Amino acid sequence: MKKKTSIIAFILLVITFGFRVNHTPEFPTPKGWPLPQYDFRKNPLDSKKIELGRMLFYDPILSRDSSISCTSCHSQYSAFTHVDHALSHGIDGKIGTRNSPALMNLAWGKSFMWDGAINHLDMQALAPISNTLEMDDNIKNVVFKLQRSAIYSTLFYTAFGVKKIQGAHVLKSLSQFMLTLVSSNSKYDKMKQGAIKFTEAEHRGYLLFQNHCSSCHKEPLFSNYQFENNGLHLDDSLLDIGRMRVTQHAVDSLKFKVPTLRNIEFTSPYMHDGRFQTLNQVLNHYIKGIMPSSTLSGILKNGINLSPNEKADVVAFLLTLSDKEFVFNPQFSYPKSSFQKNLKQAD
Amino acid sequence: MPANTTSPSYFDNFQLNLCAINGLNLRFRFKAANLIIFCLAFWSTSYSQQNKKIELQFNPTFKRQSLALDSIYYHLNQTDSVQFTVLKFYISNISLFADSQLVFREENSFHLIDASLKGSLMLPLSVPQSAFFNTIKFNLGIDSTTNVSGALENDLDPTKGMYWTWQSGYINFKLEGNSNQCKTRKNEFKFHLGGYLAPFEALRKITLPVQHNDSISIDFPLDLFLSKLDLSVENEVMIPGYKAMLIATKAAAEFKSDTP
Repeated sequence: MKKKTSIIAFILLVITFGFRVNHTPEFPTPKGWPLPQYDFRKNPLDSKKIELGRMLFYDPILSRDSSISCTSCHSQYSAFTHVDHALSHGIDGKIGTRNSPALMNLAWGKSFMWDGAINHLDMQALAPISNTLEMDDNIKNVVFKLQRSAIYSTLFYTAFGVKKIQGAHVLKSLSQFMLTLVSSNSKYDKMKQGAIKFTEAEHRGYLLFQNHCSSCHKEPLFSNYQFENNGLHLDDSLLDIGRMRVTQHAVDSLKFKVPTLRNIEFTSPYMHDGRFQTLNQVLNHYIKGIMPSSTLSGILKNGINLSPNEKADVVAFLLTLSDKEFVFNPQFSYPKSSFQKNLKQAD
Repeated sequence: MPANTTSPSYFDNFQLNLCAINGLNLRFRFKAANLIIFCLAFWSTSYSQQNKKIELQFNPTFKRQSLALDSIYYHLNQTDSVQFTVLKFYISNISLFADSQLVFREENSFHLIDASLKGSLMLPLSVPQSAFFNTIKFNLGIDSTTNVSGALENDLDPTKGMYWTWQSGYINFKLEGNSNQCKTRKNEFKFHLGGYLAPFEALRKITLPVQHNDSISIDFPLDLFLSKLDLSVENEVMIPGYKAMLIATKAAAEFKSDTP
């Protein structure tokens, strides 16, 4: 009996320690948040892979003429979106068709892009890499360029133990870096933890928010990750039908993914086509700009009724979702030292 | 075995026993790990002894000749001709049956067949030595679970050009070429068939009889496939949808085994 137990103990020990490869940073699920959607078992976090993904994120090598990197449209100081650009700018000064989304808390994403066309974070980067208005390259050529680079071929070898880089390795390391972009240290979060108190205006705004907005912008991630028609009139220069492009189903016409409101202070302009510059314009849309249609979100049928004072309170609350630690976190910034260190070694 | 503070931990023993396997250190006591490893080793050798290799060969053809890409023009009829530039498709979930009894199912069964790569046309299968079978089943395309599983390597790697970038999903079947029947730019036709989301699933299950138990040969006669299409109107399908589903059904119907 004792022997049996010790054998079981041994097997458990081997399972827990025997197969652990170097450093596996724990994924930080903030307290009170749901479990992440991302399956970390298929791509366990590893500091080398995260750093490699971070270099790729900041390296224009992913684009056809080495002019555009991920950060071109997703810069940290604007919570990883493209500040002041209604539609994203890409290669040769070309202009895309949608507002680049802010990147944060991607581990909880069920689908990606405004229309949810991408079903997994790993596969997301393929879209901008291949889009002729964005990076205009393809993953095969990107792998070729990375393999040819002495620096990257070494980094992929150290991170994945492979001499021959595959597309999956590029995508998985990009995922690893993007997964670390967790924003959970806003004033709202600190209030929730009981560390600080809201001002009266913020508190009133929070109650109004819970009443009018939180069914779609669900706490704590501030999105329900569903697709909704929020009553924007169709821009006839873009004719963007949203989710319907993916499902080819009329019930999805003009529906777009509900974006998170976290860091909204930094992510202007707003909406899938960046049509609104200010939070005031956004709220005015919900108060008096809703365009009726058959696919309009049910709770917006009568618009949202807010007085000017209430509007100011809601804005005060929305500003509590800013996370300065996130936008200034040095772990997410341009990996200058990694690039320099590896350049030195390659010399 | 009681816990012993002077002897190495179980974890240490595991490493030492690995050394013993390499013949470097035989002094260490017989431990549970040895037993497990020996059992595994015995099981794996006996497993391989009971298996035989059989060849599953795919032959894309045109009028009974092996398909040649690029340079060759094939006659469709008196006036029309066709040239093929790309033929790639996924074969997955290969299994062998004796009547309705499953005798073999390939693990991790995903294969990209590429007419431009001769090596990709032959799939070696390791099946039980004694297995008798008269039916093969496989999928033309990639199942929905795999379609939502993130980045995958080897034949499923997105560098293979069989993954859509603007919308997630594998391209199950890709045929490109040109024909004077197509009133398109450069007379091109392009069929990129895929789609895993309901109601546009383009994966097709194929069941064929087989005669020989040492090799399986499956033809894909493109002349017969094209005879079911009207290239003058059907010449570009590159998104999931009913058209892709219809053509996928037509393609799947043309796979023929060596048994009459």
